[in-house]
Amino acid sequence: MNTASHDPRALLRKTAMTVLTTFIIVLCVAPFLLVLAISFGRKVEGAAWVWDFTFANYQRFFVGTLWPDEVTFLYLQQLSYSFYFALIASIFAVLTALPFTLTLSKLSRNAQAAWLVFIMSSLSLSEVFIVMGWDILLSNNSGLPKLFRETGLTQWLKDVGWFQTLRDWGLANPRNVKFKTSDFATVLTMSYLVWPYAVILLYPALSRLDPSLSEAARTMGAGRWTITRTVTLPSIRLPLLGTTLLLFVFLLGTYVAVTVFAAPHKQTVAVAIYSNVRGSNLNAPFGSAQAIMLLISASFCLYLGHLLNKKAEAP
Amino acid sequence: MRIGSMIYMWLSALVLAMPIFVVCAAALNSGRSMFFPPREPTLARFKEFFISEPIWTEALMNSIIVAFGAASLAVLMAWPIAYMLWSSGSKLSKILAGLGSMPFAVPPIVFGVGLGFFWAFTGGLGEMWAGIISHAVLLMALPIVTISIGLQSIDRSHLNAAATMGATDQVAFRTVVLPQTIPYSISGFFFVLVLSFNEFIVIFFVSASSYATVTLQIFNSLRNGYTPTMAVAAITFLSVSIIVFAAVARWGDLPRLMGADPTRK
Repeated sequence: MNTASHDPRALLRKTAMTVLTTFIIVLCVAPFLLVLAISFGRKVEGAAWVWDFTFANYQRFFVGTLWPDEVTFLYLQQLSYSFYFALIASIFAVLTALPFTLTLSKLSRNAQAAWLVFIMSSLSLSEVFIVMGWDILLSNNSGLPKLFRETGLTQWLKDVGWFQTLRDWGLANPRNVKFKTSDFATVLTMSYLVWPYAVILLYPALSRLDPSLSEAARTMGAGRWTITRTVTLPSIRLPLLGTTLLLFVFLLGTYVAVTVFAAPHKQTVAVAIYSNVRGSNLNAPFGSAQAIMLLISASFCLYLGHLLNKKAEAP
Repeated sequence: MRIGSMIYMWLSALVLAMPIFVVCAAALNSGRSMFFPPREPTLARFKEFFISEPIWTEALMNSIIVAFGAASLAVLMAWPIAYMLWSSGSKLSKILAGLGSMPFAVPPIVFGVGLGFFWAFTGGLGEMWAGIISHAVLLMALPIVTISIGLQSIDRSHLNAAATMGATDQVAFRTVVLPQTIPYSISGFFFVLVLSFNEFIVIFFVSASSYATVTLQIFNSLRNGYTPTMAVAAITFLSVSIIVFAAVARWGDLPRLMGADPTRK
């Protein structure tokens, strides 16, 4: 063993580890540090930006450039829209994925594998394709609105008076139902995006549920619904919360779905970052400050999820 | 009630398949714009995508290069980390695994913006190799997880038996550890491959419009409206995913990789 340090193979291994460590530290940490550093930079009119140490970008994010004379919460509002869309979509996805996954975990191993292939394939499908699919389905000249019109459903809605309600919700124009642009379409597409993730994340917890517990409850005469309510749900409360949090964090950064389906005044931080860093605004420092705020929100949620996980694993 | 939950399951599958089905059907359109149901169904778009339109063939080639490069690099980086985690559980290995998973855990747009700056300073912006490295780092978390699961399935008594029979560490590594983890490494490779194929936001920031993968090309054309050729891309990508995951399910243990209880059949 004492010759190990002279062994060329051990030396090689050590060198390889050092290279790997450096590589990972540089590539996983440096990008985030750069975003942080540039968020204190300053935009130069007519040019790009320069290094600086100013909190002006953060001030602009919270209260606007003209503070204290004038206050605007425009950018905080963008963050709140990020939260709003992500929250509703993640809760909806988890609630609808739960019964599905519960049934899935009770199937035979081969059937489970087949379903998982299907789920994984739709999970890996790019956001771009999914948005394209829903865009065709929801756009006014094809898809659902056309279906509504041709089947007479629109006319029926008008006859019973629900059409006005849809108009109040912004889901219809005077002639027909419309889903673009609407909160409904945004949330629907976002839930669709993370739905397979919800299944994958709930699957371990649900497939490890002890069947003897619910069997015991059944022999004692509990009905199916009672078992779900008193045995199953309490034992998966924490994974359920943890999954919702993870999906929420994932959805905070959604870009394509929001640009296509959300109304222009309801654009989120992710869209703002994009247009500042790469788009028409060309204000990388402010985009970086927004990215940092998004990162802080996401990290906080991930930390909460981590605490929940720890609590779940504790006996 | 049992029937009720099965119906719900198939209904969910139907909704899940609906937009995918619509995109696929749109590929059969003969005209320049998308209609559903397709008008005058034809397979001409497939020829455009794979053979005759250089925009798409180049994008497809770029996607393939980036995905295979990133998958290989990610597995190469993940292997030592997962092995160290398993064999020594040292602090360094935990830090590396944590850092390696970080880009995957935070919103990708933040990491994408950061990498955009990073490559701008190091001269990699718009270079294909930078795109490969970026995807490898972003998705490294997946092979770390799959390889760790594989290593955990090794029976430590086999290693002890090998040692008592006089096998050196290297021999035991080659004859016990490596064969057991190969299916899991391959699964990790394929996970990265498929996700890299479909990834959009990070590659957008690091490519700086100097080259385009298929997802980027589709996003660029989004403003001009959809063309049926894009739908062919969607079909191709979906087929690749299904083949890959079916292969993982066939030769690996997909339910176990997804965290099912290994003792129950």
